[in-house]
Formats: sequence, C-alpha cells, structure tokens
Amino acid sequence: MRTALVEADGLGMRYATGRLALDGASLSVAAGEMVVILGHNGCGKSTLLKCIAGLLRPTAGQVLVAGRDITSLSGRALSEARMAMAMVFQQARLVGRRSVLANVVCGTLGRHRNVTSALGILPRTERQHAMECLEEVGLAGFATQRAGTLSGGQAQRASIARALAQRPAALLADEPVASLDPEASEEVMRLLRRISSSDGLGVICVLHQPELARRYADRILGMRQGRVMFDDTPGAIADRQMQALYEGVVIQGLAA
Amino acid sequence: MNATVKVRVERERASRGGLMTPGRWGGSALGFLGLFVFLVVLAQSAMVVQARPQDLITGAHGMADILRRAMPPDFSKLQSELWPALETVDIAFFGTTVAVLLAVPLAIMAAHNTSPGRPFYAAARSLIALCRAVPDLVWALLFVTAVGLGPFPGALAVSVHSVGMLGRLFAEVIEDMDMGPVEALTMTGANRLQVFSHAVVPSVLPSLLGIALYRLDENIRSSLVLGFVGAGGLGFELLTAMNLFQYRTVSLLLVLTFVIVILTERMSAALRRRIG
Repeated sequence: MRTALVEADGLGMRYATGRLALDGASLSVAAGEMVVILGHNGCGKSTLLKCIAGLLRPTAGQVLVAGRDITSLSGRALSEARMAMAMVFQQARLVGRRSVLANVVCGTLGRHRNVTSALGILPRTERQHAMECLEEVGLAGFATQRAGTLSGGQAQRASIARALAQRPAALLADEPVASLDPEASEEVMRLLRRISSSDGLGVICVLHQPELARRYADRILGMRQGRVMFDDTPGAIADRQMQALYEGVVIQGLAA
Repeated sequence: MNATVKVRVERERASRGGLMTPGRWGGSALGFLGLFVFLVVLAQSAMVVQARPQDLITGAHGMADILRRAMPPDFSKLQSELWPALETVDIAFFGTTVAVLLAVPLAIMAAHNTSPGRPFYAAARSLIALCRAVPDLVWALLFVTAVGLGPFPGALAVSVHSVGMLGRLFAEVIEDMDMGPVEALTMTGANRLQVFSHAVVPSVLPSLLGIALYRLDENIRSSLVLGFVGAGGLGFELLTAMNLFQYRTVSLLLVLTFVIVILTERMSAALRRRIG
C-alpha cells in the first residue's frame, strides 16, 4: 500500500440552505494513482472535489494534504498548502489574449509572490520549465500563439500544462472532458493517465462517462446523494453497480 | 467597447420585453391611450419651446446676411488661432488622461466582482454617479469661479466629468469579464495583486483603451464648448469673435473646429480598430 498524497476522511458538507451535499465521504489518492469519481448531477462529486481543493470548507471531516489538515487553515496558509494541488476545470480558463506560453508561466505565480510579478511581469526563470510542460502536453509548437486561437482540446491541454507548471503533487480535474468532442476527450484522458503513470502525480478526476472511467482509472469511486457507494478497481465493479448510480435519478426526477 | 454597448442594449431590450410584446400592445385600448398621451405631451412641448416654423422663413434673410458677411473665412487670423486650437486639444487630452488614471481604481472598487468590500463599492458608485450627473459645462463654471479663467479649469471640468463616464463603463467591462482565469490563477496560489495583473488586466485592457479613446474624441468636442464659459481654447475665441461681430473670424474658427473634430474622430476610430 502506497502512502496517500491527499486523503479526505469522513467529509460532510451541509450548505446554508440546509441541503446535505456530502455525507461521510472519504477518498484517498496516492502518487502515480488515478482515481475517477462518477455519479449523476448533484450527487456531490464536485462538492467533494472543491472541499479537497480547499475551495469549500467542509462542515465535518478532514482533508489531509501531505499529512496536514487543510480544513482548519485560511488565508495565506491555506493558499500555500493548496499549492501542492493543481486544478483543471471543465473550461480551460485561459487568458485568451495572452500567448499560450504566458498562460502556462502563470501557473508558477504562487512560487513568485513578489513586486515584479504583481506588476504583471512574468518570471523569466520559469520560461524553460513552462516550455517543458507544453512539450509534455504536445503543444510546444503553439507557445507563441494567442491562447484564444486554440481549439477546445488544445486549450484544455494548455490548461493542464499550466497546472503542471505549478509543480503539484496531485492534479484535481473537475469534468475536464465535459465540453470536448470524443476525440479530444480521449486525448485529454490519455494525457491525464500519462501524467499520473509517468510523472507520478496523484490524479483525481470527476467524470460523467463510466466507459472512460473504466478504461483510464486505477480506482473508481461511485457517489450517490453525497455518499460513496463504492470505491474499487474498475475490474471489481459490476456493470449493475455502475448503473445503480444513475438509475435512481430517473425515479427521483419523476417523483419531484 | 462595441461588445459592452451591445450587451447593455440587449439587457435593456430584455428588461422592457414584457411591455413591447405585440400581444399586449396590438390594437388594444391601452395602445390608443398611450398614443393620445404621447400626442398631448408633444403638443405641450411644442408650446413650451415656442416652436414657430414661420420664424425660420422670416429669419432666412438674416441668416443669409450673416453667411454673406462670414465669407470668406479670414485666413490671415489662422496663425493667431493655432494656439487656442492647441489649447482645445490639450484640454481634452490632459483631462482624459487624468480621468483614466482616476477612473481605473474607482472602477475596480465599483465592480462587484473586484470590489474590496461593500463600503468601497458604495463610495465608488456614489462618486462616479456625482461626477457623471453634473455636466462638464457646469463643472467648468464651478472651476472657472474657483481657479479663474483659462484652459486649466477646462481640463479640470473635462477630467471630473470623464471620471464619472469612464468609471461606470470601466466597471461594466470588469463586471462582464470572464471570471474563469481569475479562479484558475487563484487556485495556482497567486495572490490578489498577481491575479489582478495577470488575469484581470490582460482581459479588460483592450476594452478599456477603446473606451478611453472614444472618450478623448468626445472630450475634444466638449472642450470646444467649454470655452464659452471662459475655460480657454477655441470656444472662448468663438465667443469673443461673435460678440465683436467678426463673422469672418467666426467662420475661420468653425473651419478649424470642423478639421479638429474630423481628424480626431478618424484617428480615434483607426486606433480603436487596431486594438480590437
């Protein structure tokens, strides 16, 4: 058993509206491991990811990043602890008018909290590293191009390069292929898989496609109504279990 | 610039949509009532402004007389009028530049997505509203009283009024901005200032420059008028020439005004195209 990079333990999240979004959810990811979270809309998978990322403060449980509980941190201490985790979103969220390379260098800003970078000047020393990250995602030839001119799949890969430039130990991806065509989706999933296997990053990825999860994940975590229903290797999960994640929704929807 | 204007127009259209739908207007009694009220209001406004079209016809003779006396423009005065012309352009240029410098921090405070806090938001919004609500001509009157005749009160008036106009438009651009990169950079561990200069500034800068150039163009036109209340430039010359019945000087000044307005309009439009 490898030691966990990021570990969420018994997370509970009750929103101010009274809705219980997470109910004792636990998850751990080790170096070189790729965990996919599945579940229908509103099952709490994005909430779980946001709690782990330190974007939301869970109302119960703890999140250990490199053995340190981040749920009690705030301000600068939180943002420093958070730097061990990089995040990729459904949209690439690049600054369209800047070059692809400049966008990637922006991923390193957390390490360069000084006056020059606050004035909008990018740290020159990081250019080399940023180029390597672009090579890793196969976009080295696009470095000087405006980010706004990239296709959806390319933009998403550029945002992964920006996440890598941060030199994180774990990569959190919130539905990274939800707005991509099937071909670009495969490309992004292959990239995440490789980052995990070759570079040894722990990857937590929220997905909507059980089929992609089966092919790329080391472990699949199935969620329903804020609870973790199963957490196992793809081979050990029956199709029936997978369907059960989505089935109830229809009935719930009709009842409502 | 165009994008924000479009967004605003759409928004206004959407908010009025309810009343403008044909189902609620078409041929109903309410429609006729609306038309009747409109005609009544129009009639009273014609009476209040003392609209007498026949005066235009009887006045045509006087107009022709003035035009005859104004021709040809007195180009011998050209050299002496170049300085006031420069003053007019500089009032606008200086005033707009100062206004941009003041409007940017105000707009950041007045945009709900970048404002540091509720009190800052309220204070910035009120200051912007005050600057905007008072026309530049009135600001010029106030400043002429305060600092005396000359181009400086003109520049002050231009910049105070522009702070209001620019502050509001800048704040709208910031509010309409895509927040994705801001959140993404916050997640990388960048601090507030870094997020601002690396995500907010590059996204909004072209729109802000476009708006500032458009404002410069408008300010050149308004600085021509500011001279009428003693705030220097061509307006002041125009007023003096009119009072002395030097109609050929007046026509020269109008030619100069025309040239300046057309030139700046063209230049600002060309620059804005290059930014977009």
